[in-house]
Amino acid sequence: MSISYQVRRFFPLVLVAACILAVAWVISFGTLPKADFAFANGDQIKTVDPSKATGAPEGRIINALFEGLLRQLPVDQPPDQTGSIPLKPTTRGVAESYSVSEDGLTYTFLIRQTAAWSNGRRLTSDDFVWSWRRTLHPETGSKYSYQLYYIHGAQAYNESRVEVDQPVEVELNDRPEHPSGQNQLFPRGTMLRGILREIRDVTAPSGSGGNEADTAPVSEPRRIYVVEVKPQLNGRVQWEAQGRRQAFSSHPDLVKTVQGEAVQRAQHILPDFHRTVQIRAPNPRTLVVTLSNRTPFFTDLVAFYPLYPVCRECVETHGTPAWTLPENIVSNGPYQLEFRRIRDRVRLRKSRTYWDVANVDLNTIDAMAVKSETTSLNMFMNGQLDWATTVPNPVIPELMKRTDFLSAPMLTVYFYRLNVERPPLNKPLVREALNLAIDKRRIVEKVTSAGQQPARSFVPPGIRGYDSAYCGEYNPERARELLAQAGFPNGSGIPKIQIVYNTSEAHRDIAQVISEDWNVNLGIQTELRNLEWGTFLDTLSERDYMVARSGWIGDYPDPNTFLDMFVTDGANNETNWSNARYDELIQTAQVETDAAARMDILHQAEQLLMRELPIVPIYFYVSINMVNPRIKGFSANIQDIHPLHILRRQQ
Amino acid sequence: MIGFLLKRLGWMVLTLWVVFTTSFFLMRAVPGGPFDSEKKLPPAIKRNIEKRYQMDRPLIQQYWSHLWATARCDFGPSYKLEDYTVNDVIAQGFPVSASLGILAMTFALSLGLVSGVVSAVLRNSVYDVSFMVAATIGIAVPNFVLASLMIVLFVFFWPIFPAAGWGELRQIILPALCLGAPFAGYISRLTRTGMLEVLGLDYIRTAYAKGLTTPEVVVRHALRGAILPVVSYLGPATAGILTGSLVLEQIFALPGMGSHFIEAATQRDYTLAMGMVMVYTFLLFVMNTLVDLSYSMIDPRVEVD
Repeated sequence: MSISYQVRRFFPLVLVAACILAVAWVISFGTLPKADFAFANGDQIKTVDPSKATGAPEGRIINALFEGLLRQLPVDQPPDQTGSIPLKPTTRGVAESYSVSEDGLTYTFLIRQTAAWSNGRRLTSDDFVWSWRRTLHPETGSKYSYQLYYIHGAQAYNESRVEVDQPVEVELNDRPEHPSGQNQLFPRGTMLRGILREIRDVTAPSGSGGNEADTAPVSEPRRIYVVEVKPQLNGRVQWEAQGRRQAFSSHPDLVKTVQGEAVQRAQHILPDFHRTVQIRAPNPRTLVVTLSNRTPFFTDLVAFYPLYPVCRECVETHGTPAWTLPENIVSNGPYQLEFRRIRDRVRLRKSRTYWDVANVDLNTIDAMAVKSETTSLNMFMNGQLDWATTVPNPVIPELMKRTDFLSAPMLTVYFYRLNVERPPLNKPLVREALNLAIDKRRIVEKVTSAGQQPARSFVPPGIRGYDSAYCGEYNPERARELLAQAGFPNGSGIPKIQIVYNTSEAHRDIAQVISEDWNVNLGIQTELRNLEWGTFLDTLSERDYMVARSGWIGDYPDPNTFLDMFVTDGANNETNWSNARYDELIQTAQVETDAAARMDILHQAEQLLMRELPIVPIYFYVSINMVNPRIKGFSANIQDIHPLHILRRQQ
Repeated sequence: MIGFLLKRLGWMVLTLWVVFTTSFFLMRAVPGGPFDSEKKLPPAIKRNIEKRYQMDRPLIQQYWSHLWATARCDFGPSYKLEDYTVNDVIAQGFPVSASLGILAMTFALSLGLVSGVVSAVLRNSVYDVSFMVAATIGIAVPNFVLASLMIVLFVFFWPIFPAAGWGELRQIILPALCLGAPFAGYISRLTRTGMLEVLGLDYIRTAYAKGLTTPEVVVRHALRGAILPVVSYLGPATAGILTGSLVLEQIFALPGMGSHFIEAATQRDYTLAMGMVMVYTFLLFVMNTLVDLSYSMIDPRVEVD
């Protein structure tokens, strides 16, 4: 009884104490010294690992922390009428120069002598070989590993595709336990190298179920690989010598179960990296890369963050993902990671070891994780931010009058996918009619209203040396005629068309305008259906839709990034559209050596796409940035990439 | 009392297990997965990633291994915040949400109790009417509307607070006020009703007759009797503050757990969503138990069982 009396007396005191503790904890964050530059970096970044990141917010941080062979920078020229200055891959990165062979396949990069890691070690070409191998290794699980597929042999390595009589590397299942208990993803087990002699498929023995304790991942192939393992002498593989035949399998059930022959457990059986993937480091300053096909945009890719190097000893010491922690990370870019707070900020500090440190102006940068567009605008207006990367749509017309509002065309298209296997969308005439019946100008003026351009082609304008195709202006009469020709005069006989989009007010508003246009101009009934993001993606990949809202951001400034998605069964096609001529054109463009001729072939392909219209382009995006007028060096561009290390603050 | 706590502990383990199992299968039944995106991954790459997170194993195997790990309080790596484990995310987010919640609750309690008592003692006065109007408004206006209003007033018209962010005391005041406001309203009304009931009782008249002043009567005698409904309201209020902070954390860009919860669910970050669900279940359970315990503390007639 007396206990509860005591507690009763202390109850208010406990509450007060909790409150004081809470306040003390908040204050204990300390008032951070203000950074020289703060910007809203959109959503919380997922990672700073160049091999694993995919988004734009991650890109901004990685571009500051790391540096690739080449660097995307605005070219030295005044901005055009939209305020844009195009970006170009320049030799202001790790490589001080590079050369391309006559056939356009072999790139030789010369790494600058002053390039260094933040731990003081010199950066060498081996760092690139190791980093790119890490990106390609299946166990890394890199989403952007396909950016390296242009390199000869890279795709097969990433997909673990081995062939008989080809050199392979076998990693045995004897990895040392990593001391920190972290996932050490990069291969550390014994590596055997040799020539693959035979692949044996072993069918699962029937009725041997009940082996519940077996933790074998189901995706491991039930296969035995017979390899002629070459002897190694002083760490060098004797490829010419006679090897010893040994059998390996990555499936635990198959280990030591096959009659008479010992089968060893292997972690991975991959094509031999050094013999099959054409990334070479003949000396510490030279990196030689050979591509499968001529790839004019390869320099753009080299300047894209998935191809940035990471520090081998740092990754190997700390393991993944612990190496990305501020106290562990070693980077080679203009900035170093000072600290990270989840959903709060990333603080960057100028790196003293950066080769061009003299030309980096801002000492500290805060990348704030601000998810809400309204909040980010509030913080910009309030002076808490120098750069807001997004603003809420409804206030854009108001903001456009301001001088610190920068908006410029972007390499991004908003379009509708049409499922060409759902009647009546299987008829090209119907698809064309649907396209001509949409008043795209009204959409950009009344709905999006930030200066977007109505799209008459799929590839956005602004790519050097490329003329986009043309799919016709808004023309309701012509649309009605086409629909009648297709056998549906005044839309009679057309079933209700369903438009799916992921839940968002902007998408809904656009869908409403389109639905109205189709109804008024063609007499077609439509139904709008919004789906939550994950469900929407599933619906698309299962082709369980008639018309679906879509968007595409160009990975590099080349039409190929837009056009190669619609080849037959392309992973991003998702419209069921297939055209042999189109596939052939895309294929030809890949091997065409003349740049102008290649652009012409791609143009023909787009022209074909715009005639067949498995997709209806709606509008081209604009980038929207609000930047403090005191910040210099910020210029708009079609990729919406803004390197932080070239920004300066005017006093 | 020990018996009561042990019994509660047993129920908690059972509840957590049921919640875990339901959430686990519900999450995986929902279409879409953590590695889907508008830019399709080549199948081979997707396989590599799924293998890395052991998502290629049979569901029931995943269930047991996750359950075993969860039992050891190890929620595993976050699928989306790739540089962190779920435990790291919770460790960084929880203190933020907790201090926001405690401040909001303190504000709600102190404002609610004081205004409720004043209203009851001076019933039908100007104070009473204005407090009760304010309380009704506080309950009726959703906290995000209140937040927008506060931002317009105290960030732009009269710039005394920063618009958003975290790291100094100034930045937590607006969100704590917005979060606590509806609960202050409820508490104020509960206190007023309770006080009015108690103030008419005989023992209060006796206390006055002893010659005690009004503040003494109210604080020493009346309040204890009147506070019970408020205490029983604290359980649901905690739940409300936890869920209410989801919205406010977005508006004020606070690095708390609420925003992780929403993001994890929409992005199909299975492990992070599970971690959040478990932490929230645990918190609610503990708070309700504390409320049940405090009944007996305040009112000796109530016995826990």
